Amino acid sequence: MKYAIETFDLTKKYDEFTAVDALNMKIDNNSIFGFLGPNGAGKTTTIKMLTCLIKATSGTGNVAGYDITNNPNEVREKIGMVPQLVSLYGDLTVRENVYLCADFYGLPTDLKISRADELMELVDIKYAQNKLVKQLSGGMKQKASVVASLIHQPDILFLDEPTIGLDPTTKRVLWDLVEELNSEGRTIILCSHDMYEVELLCDGIGIINNGVLAAFDTPRGLKDTMIKEQKELKSTKDSNVIKIMEELRKESSVEDSAAFDKIKENIEIRNRDLKELSVMISNLDENMLNHLNKLPSIHEIVEHDSGRIVMDIESSDESVNQIISAIITNGGNITSIATKDPSLEDVFMSVTAKKEEEGVDNE
Amino acid sequence: MSETKKIMWMIKKDLLVLWRHKPRLISLFLFPIIMITLFGYGMGGTLNNVPVVVVEQSQGPITDATLTAIKGNSLYNVKDIITDPDKGKQMVQSGQVKAAIILPSNYDNLNDTSQKSIVVDVDSSDQLAASVIIPATQGLFNQISNQIGIQELQTLNFTSTSVASTPQGTNFQNILNSINLQINKLYGNITYLDFLVPAIIGMTILFGCVFGMGEIIAGERERGELARLFMTPTSVSTVVGGKIISKLVQETGRGIILIVAAVLLFGIIINGSIMLTVLLLILGALCFIGFGIMISARVSSQEDFMQSVMPITMPMMFVSGVFYPIETMPWIFQKIAYILPLTYVNDALRAVMLKGAGVGDIWIDIVVLLGFTALFFALGVTQFNRDV
Ligand SMILES: Nc1ncnc2c1ncn2[C@@H]1O[C@H](COP(=O)(O)OP(=O)(O)O)[C@@H](O)[C@H]1O
Ligand SMILES: [Mg+2]
Repeated sequence: MKYAIETFDLTKKYDEFTAVDALNMKIDNNSIFGFLGPNGAGKTTTIKMLTCLIKATSGTGNVAGYDITNNPNEVREKIGMVPQLVSLYGDLTVRENVYLCADFYGLPTDLKISRADELMELVDIKYAQNKLVKQLSGGMKQKASVVASLIHQPDILFLDEPTIGLDPTTKRVLWDLVEELNSEGRTIILCSHDMYEVELLCDGIGIINNGVLAAFDTPRGLKDTMIKEQKELKSTKDSNVIKIMEELRKESSVEDSAAFDKIKENIEIRNRDLKELSVMISNLDENMLNHLNKLPSIHEIVEHDSGRIVMDIESSDESVNQIISAIITNGGNITSIATKDPSLEDVFMSVTAKKEEEGVDNE
Repeated sequence: MSETKKIMWMIKKDLLVLWRHKPRLISLFLFPIIMITLFGYGMGGTLNNVPVVVVEQSQGPITDATLTAIKGNSLYNVKDIITDPDKGKQMVQSGQVKAAIILPSNYDNLNDTSQKSIVVDVDSSDQLAASVIIPATQGLFNQISNQIGIQELQTLNFTSTSVASTPQGTNFQNILNSINLQINKLYGNITYLDFLVPAIIGMTILFGCVFGMGEIIAGERERGELARLFMTPTSVSTVVGGKIISKLVQETGRGIILIVAAVLLFGIIINGSIMLTVLLLILGALCFIGFGIMISARVSSQEDFMQSVMPITMPMMFVSGVFYPIETMPWIFQKIAYILPLTYVNDALRAVMLKGAGVGDIWIDIVVLLGFTALFFALGVTQFNRDV
């Protein structure tokens, strides 16, 4: 079994409305997969189909090696799910809820007790084990929900926006748990809006928009695609500008070709790979700036103040090395250094915005 | 084995929830007891000593026996015995009495084979008095005709004065059926309270089961708790079965406690088999649970559930003869009553608790209830939407 999850034209319709439209995905075993999409995109609906909570309208999928349409109970044995809204019984205690789930999975009593203790300790909820769930804070509820979902040691764990509204400490506990579960060989499907979380945890990402899978790649792959697309977009725009200027020059026989060449050169430089590098230097002075200005790999110093310098540089690993060694040989004291890549958030915005336009076109 | 554990959890969970909501637990028992107190004592008073006048137009042993029977019944307070039918009618119109019982002039003539027609003029502006006098009087004369052997005494004409809403020409058989109860009152010692208690218990179980199923199916579906159960390898029949058993345990328990309370608090006497009474409670509860499942099978929220059951359960409460004998209602309501399961629960419970009826006497009720139950369950389980 190579894939933890495979879907084949998985579709869900509510009357005329298509919530999930012919989804085809393959999610590797033992990966942490981030499932992104704006509100109402169809994430929860997809997860409910994969966890056999609702029936697909058409298409099907394999989860943990079993077909969700024909072998739902086998799938259910193998998976766990932390729903978007905590759905434990508010009038039962944490431990009662966990035991109830354990018995619904048919665990023997000794395993039920030992695992409940173990898991409650792991996520640090044991101190509240005898409290009614309705009396818990949001974070504690979420922890209890996670324990209930893990009691049968599922191969695949689905988490539907698990850290929404949680404090940073609780988030951290859950993230650590996800990584630990993954290191034990489990596959995690993480629905999320939190780009930081996705970037931190996930090996693969799917972005769904209006029920359609809009992007599916690794985080790096998504960003690279975006950089490439942005560059293509920029260069077509720029070449259009050059074309117009050339036509203008022909028509009006502009004499000042030097100025024109300068603009053209600037545009071409911009089209080379440039990225932003920001360095904090505690002893930044005029002398240092002069030295840096002479470096060929620095295209432009965007801004600088007493301790910080931001520049556009050639986008290659050597250029970063060159600049750093130049700073050090000139006695600079670097306190921090950062390059600015497009963030996953940029990718998300661009993918979902683009598909929305296309969606409008289709209608 | 593992399915048993799941079902045990569903029962345990519902009981724990109840136990952890003390006010809910208390009102579960307080509600029916308040109903019994309010209606039982509030209405019990008006059912005794209703002022009537008797008009006798002949003399003889049958008339004497009839008078003795009327006087011996605490329902009637015989204000006067006169001979002029018109005067009797006037007394009703002027409000001096609620009814004039007019015996025909051939009443004591056993040789006269023509029809003997008793007329009761009822003040139908007093709905409550009218609704009690009519069936009681009907029954009284039915009894008299049986005992004294007046074969020809078949038709009773009721004419009302002030308001003409009294059921005229009511189906005779229906009246006879209902009257048995009132007859017992004449000769036994059955009060309105006795009449009320079985039906209040029936109604309490109706509401308990129907709303309870709404809470543990539609409500749990809405809150995602049902999804938590269906996430596990568990079949619809296990979940639905668990919910049924859980509610059945609760409501039967409640019914038994209420019966004990009625005996202790109101001095109710159960004439029939306690075992049969409990079995009827269970059958009634099953039927109403089935109804709850049928409605909650496809709705997605408790609000939707309430909207769907209200138009059925509220009329059921008034039409199924909880407060008045069905036969005293307008014919259209009577017809409706016969398609409502509560009617049969009430009828059977009353028959057993008041008249000491056995299975043989109430088999029709039992068959009808079993039919309803089977229908509700079949629809509920086949229609049940596992998607959450
Ligand atoms: N039971 C339902 N009936 C009708 N429409 C639904 C139902 N559940 C979800 N939808 C619709 O399907 C779309 C996808 O919903 P959902 O999967 O919950 O989105 P997400 O989890 O990505 O925010 C939404 O437009 C939502 O309104
Ligand atoms: Mg969602």
